[in-house]
Amino acid sequence: MEIIRLENISKIYQDHGIPVQALKDVNLEIDKGDFVVIAGPSGSGKTTLLNIIGSLDIPTEGHVFLERDNLTHKKKRELSAIRLRKIGFIFQAYNLLPVLTALENIEFSMMLLGLPDKERHKKAMKIMEELDIAELANKKPNKMSGGQQQRVAVARAIVNDPLLVLADEPTANLDTKTANGLLDLMQKMNEEKNITFVFSSHDKKVIDRAKKLFILKDGMIVNGN
Amino acid sequence: MFFKIAIRNLLRNKRRTLIILSSIIIGVAATLIYDSINAGMIDQMLVNQINTYYSHIQIHKKGFNDNRLVTSYIPEYKKVEDVLKKQKYITAYSNRVIAFGMLSSANSSAGISMIGIEPEREKRVSDIHKMVIEGRYPSGKLNEILISKRMSEKLEVTLGDKVVAMAADINGKVNSELFRIVGIYRSHTGEFDKVFVYVPIENARTILGIGDNVSEIAVITSSADSTFSYKKQLTNALKDSGYKTADTEVLTYQESLAMIMYLIDIWKQTSIIIYLIIALAVLFGVINTMLMSVFERVNEIGVLMSIGMKNSAIFRMIVLEAFMLGLVGTVVGFIVGILIYLPLSHNGINLGIYSESMSSMGLNNIIYPELNLMVIINSLVVMPLATAVGAFYPARKAIKLQPTDAMRYV
Repeated sequence: MEIIRLENISKIYQDHGIPVQALKDVNLEIDKGDFVVIAGPSGSGKTTLLNIIGSLDIPTEGHVFLERDNLTHKKKRELSAIRLRKIGFIFQAYNLLPVLTALENIEFSMMLLGLPDKERHKKAMKIMEELDIAELANKKPNKMSGGQQQRVAVARAIVNDPLLVLADEPTANLDTKTANGLLDLMQKMNEEKNITFVFSSHDKKVIDRAKKLFILKDGMIVNGN
Repeated sequence: MFFKIAIRNLLRNKRRTLIILSSIIIGVAATLIYDSINAGMIDQMLVNQINTYYSHIQIHKKGFNDNRLVTSYIPEYKKVEDVLKKQKYITAYSNRVIAFGMLSSANSSAGISMIGIEPEREKRVSDIHKMVIEGRYPSGKLNEILISKRMSEKLEVTLGDKVVAMAADINGKVNSELFRIVGIYRSHTGEFDKVFVYVPIENARTILGIGDNVSEIAVITSSADSTFSYKKQLTNALKDSGYKTADTEVLTYQESLAMIMYLIDIWKQTSIIIYLIIALAVLFGVINTMLMSVFERVNEIGVLMSIGMKNSAIFRMIVLEAFMLGLVGTVVGFIVGILIYLPLSHNGINLGIYSESMSSMGLNNIIYPELNLMVIINSLVVMPLATAVGAFYPARKAIKLQPTDAMRYV
């Protein structure tokens, strides 16, 4: 079942007044349960593409469909609501809120959804146990290792049961063992819970696990999948 | 959780928070003290004027205050008295006869405003009997006079000395009467002490040749705050009694003391300007602090946007941080202000070194700051509002960020 469809996506940035073509005529489809990797060298447009899929950025040309709903002309407020309910994000630098504990970071997006205290606490604890990070519940990010922070970030990304999770170079800051552990975890989530993951990465460990692979070069997809 | 985040964000940079918090605390405490001293001065000024002479309501012949003519006595004042006796909100009244004249001693003379009083009833409408510093208050016996310390110095007289009061009577003929000084008073108002002398009402009537008429009735009501309502009720009651009110005027102390009320108004306006200056100083402090705070958290704001936090919620979160800063600063500032206020309100602030100018404004040497509802509202509302408003610009800056730019921000 199709979740995401990109039609003729182009993106041109203005860099100090000079137009830079980040994406050119990109077309792709992502289905429910996919484990997708968008690979390519630095500057190939991976993050831009991921941002457009995640409605964080708007294309200069083309259309983005999420569950056949065209996102291209939606208002900021509507896109925020879509991101909150349907998309989970995992960032290279983890990006947990430093003033919140691990548990509170996971609860935060549920709070934005308006879930009552007890329910979100219960749900956050359950997911932490599943990801084997329950002992981190009361720790703040500065007291956790990179791998631990990224696991908390994964928990935050999936706790609202999103349609898809976008992970921008999630293993870039992790050592091999931790990175493999994290990928195992996400693969397990994908297989057991049928959560759709879309990665941007040039890490071989990530690319090797892809069910669907898009290779970007100079803003264009150079392989079918 | 928003409150938790706001508090923790404020605690991230404790020194910065403490600096802005200190400015709010000082601002609130200073506002409270300044305002309470103002309120105390205004109240004292009014109370002094009311208690020394003006009472709550004065009744005259219409236009009496314009020229204070001897002929301007209240028509059929006994009918007015009959109405006054029936009004429940009137707790006391006293008749007065007033004339301009001259008081002479063996050594000197001075222009006076002679007040003929009914000594016992006057005690219930003014505090002049409490202001006697030498001798005694007139007993009601004829030819006793109460003069001020200032007047005694000018005439070079003392207790027991004789003085002659002269004034033009109703026909323009100058009459005089010999008085013996039985008491010397000192009021809170230097200007008052310069001219006012008290004699028995019968003596004043004789000098002026006005029969048993009176120039003024001073009235004390059950509440100084309701004088306008009482004036209306009294005017209606006079009309209902068949008294011809067209020739008479009923004046509240606010109307009699128009200049002082005007001064009080200017004082209040000045206070508003001072609030604005303090609020502006805090406002710019908050703008600066919150801008720094926002720029330090651009990445985080980007993450919040990415995970679906609406711009309105981000805006609220930043304003809430500033509001909490204002709230905490206000509460602490208010407590600090109260701690300073309490001993001051008990012991007063001695401004004796400015005695002359204080007296010319009708003020005592010691000012007692007063905490009224307006002072409390001003202290509690101005700063939290200023801080919340001060956060609008930084909050707007935050929500103008694009999530992708914010996430890339270093």
